[in-house]
Amino acid sequence: MLNLLLLLDIVPGPANAATPVPETPQGPWMGFAYFGFCAVLAVVGAIATVASPNPIRGAMGLLLMIISIAGLFLALHAQFIAAIQVIVYAGAIVVLFLFVIMLLGSDAQTPSDQRGRIPRFGAAALFAGLGLAALTLLGRTMAKPKLPGDVGSDFGSIDSIGKVLFTDMLVPFEISSALLIVAVVGAIAVARGKHGELAEKGALNK
Amino acid sequence: MMTSTLLVASIIKILVIVGFLFNVAGLLTWVDRRQSAMIQDRVGPNRAVIKIGKFELRVFGLLHTAADGVKFFFKEDFMPPKADKLLFSLAPILVMVPVLALAAVIPMADTLCLKQIHMTAMVNGAEQSWWPAAERVGTCTTDSVEGAVSPLNVGILYVFAMAGQGIVGAGIAGWSSDNKFSLMGALRAASQMVSYEVAIGLSLVGAMMTYGTVRLDDMVRWQGENAWGIFVQPLAFFLFFVSAVAESKRIPFDLPEAESELVSGYFTEYSGMKFGMFYFAEYMEIVTSSMLVVVVFLGGWQLPFLHRDGLTIAISDVVLVETVKMSHLLVTIIGVVTFFGKTLAICFIQAFVRWSLPRFRYDQLMRLGWRVLLPAALANIFITGLVLLAIQDAGPSVQGALKTAADVTQGIVAILLASLALRGVVFAFSSRKIEHVLVGSAAAMSNARGGTKDAPMGA
Repeated sequence: MLNLLLLLDIVPGPANAATPVPETPQGPWMGFAYFGFCAVLAVVGAIATVASPNPIRGAMGLLLMIISIAGLFLALHAQFIAAIQVIVYAGAIVVLFLFVIMLLGSDAQTPSDQRGRIPRFGAAALFAGLGLAALTLLGRTMAKPKLPGDVGSDFGSIDSIGKVLFTDMLVPFEISSALLIVAVVGAIAVARGKHGELAEKGALNK
Repeated sequence: MMTSTLLVASIIKILVIVGFLFNVAGLLTWVDRRQSAMIQDRVGPNRAVIKIGKFELRVFGLLHTAADGVKFFFKEDFMPPKADKLLFSLAPILVMVPVLALAAVIPMADTLCLKQIHMTAMVNGAEQSWWPAAERVGTCTTDSVEGAVSPLNVGILYVFAMAGQGIVGAGIAGWSSDNKFSLMGALRAASQMVSYEVAIGLSLVGAMMTYGTVRLDDMVRWQGENAWGIFVQPLAFFLFFVSAVAESKRIPFDLPEAESELVSGYFTEYSGMKFGMFYFAEYMEIVTSSMLVVVVFLGGWQLPFLHRDGLTIAISDVVLVETVKMSHLLVTIIGVVTFFGKTLAICFIQAFVRWSLPRFRYDQLMRLGWRVLLPAALANIFITGLVLLAIQDAGPSVQGALKTAADVTQGIVAILLASLALRGVVFAFSSRKIEHVLVGSAAAMSNARGGTKDAPMGA
């Protein structure tokens, strides 16, 4: 467990050229406190997401978790990923969820769980066991926590990510954008197909 | 640098920008009423008064804003019995916070180099102190105070991230109110803001490509060295302005709170200070979006020909006025004042839009967003890319010509601003006839002007 805590102590990270971090004696502790704050909020949000019987409150829990994780990204000086996390997940996906839930009506409730006690607790125990196993493995293989060396001041900046994205990773990037386009076109085709059929039927009836 | 200096500077910056945001948002509620009165040829609000004996203080109806605040605090805080208590109380906060958080990255002035503000030295045995001018190009990396509260590397992406959060607040407010009008308003608000956010993002991509940066302060520096964004990206400016007005959910885009259709939309059930927060957040959104317009398209803190070291008027290589050195602190202060002045001007124009245009129909709104603004923004990106490539390949003669053109635009802006200032001075000192007639009807008014009802203006 101690190893893990050390692993987490990379939080203060490299000082960024643009946003100088004031060097204070209690620097690591500040970083640790920030990490703890975000992590606790993320866990609370995650629990609220799955535990809340009310779907809108669940979506709010998801929002809390997403923003807390963006805060964790910030602590790692990954400002770009933090911003994208908030734009895409909090700004688009949570809003989409809210949309669907609101259209379902204000009294939409999930059907009560019909499954018995044994499968539910069994699944929970299984996941807890797997998590513990992963933690133990991680702690054993990393006798000494592997801290990243000094990264450049432009680490995680838009420039460096853009450069990698459009040179080394160009093919995967383009393929994934093609995939997204296909998904969008497919969604439109599915949605319009129904209306098209209805319109044709309507025309036939006339 | 000492941490305490940084801390004090940060606190001052936060106080300045938040103070500006709150005060201007409050004043905008007054501007809205007063301006509508001006446009509709009415007297406007003038009832709020402080009476001390015979002395009456009315200050152009400004006290109405204070009366509003007092009322918000003392009204009953009603909550519908079937509302979701937690979410109902959470929604106004969710609307308010992103707007405030957005202001953190707005650069109010150029980087202030602490070591260059004031200097002392021994000259000929006597101690002399002076306020020197800064270098023309480049800024200091140490001992510096940035113009924004938090100058993030991701700059404009943070703006997108925060702007997107307002949707959630509106949605939650409508859903948790347990009212069908609220819910419909929330659905409209969410779909409208999602649609126009796309246009906002894509219209700014063209500007980002031209400036070659996402940092807001670097954008302003580019505009100071070259031309203002409104000249290099006119289409993007127009698209951004329209989308920004749409994002603030005001007439002509006020469908989520259309009085004639939905009572008052997603905040129908809110009262007291909770309603006040929605009301106030809308006005603060006007201020922050005006700040963004100023930073990205209107040169931020820059004035034409005012550089970091002082005033130099030059078109290309022709120097009209030699450098007039100005001290670093003075230039920075002028920058802050310029930035806030420009913001106020854009706020006033945004308020003007409200009283000039009728409300859209919902399908028109969606069609405008997806079929007009979005393709136009995409076309703008494409054309910007082509032009940038062409300029890269073009020879030095073309680039010299472009530099001259950029300086000419700065000259045009300078002449416009100077004539505007002159006009203001003339207006302030000219004698005007002020009619102190409060007329109750058109007939009384025409009577006061010496006419009859049939021939109003005294023919």
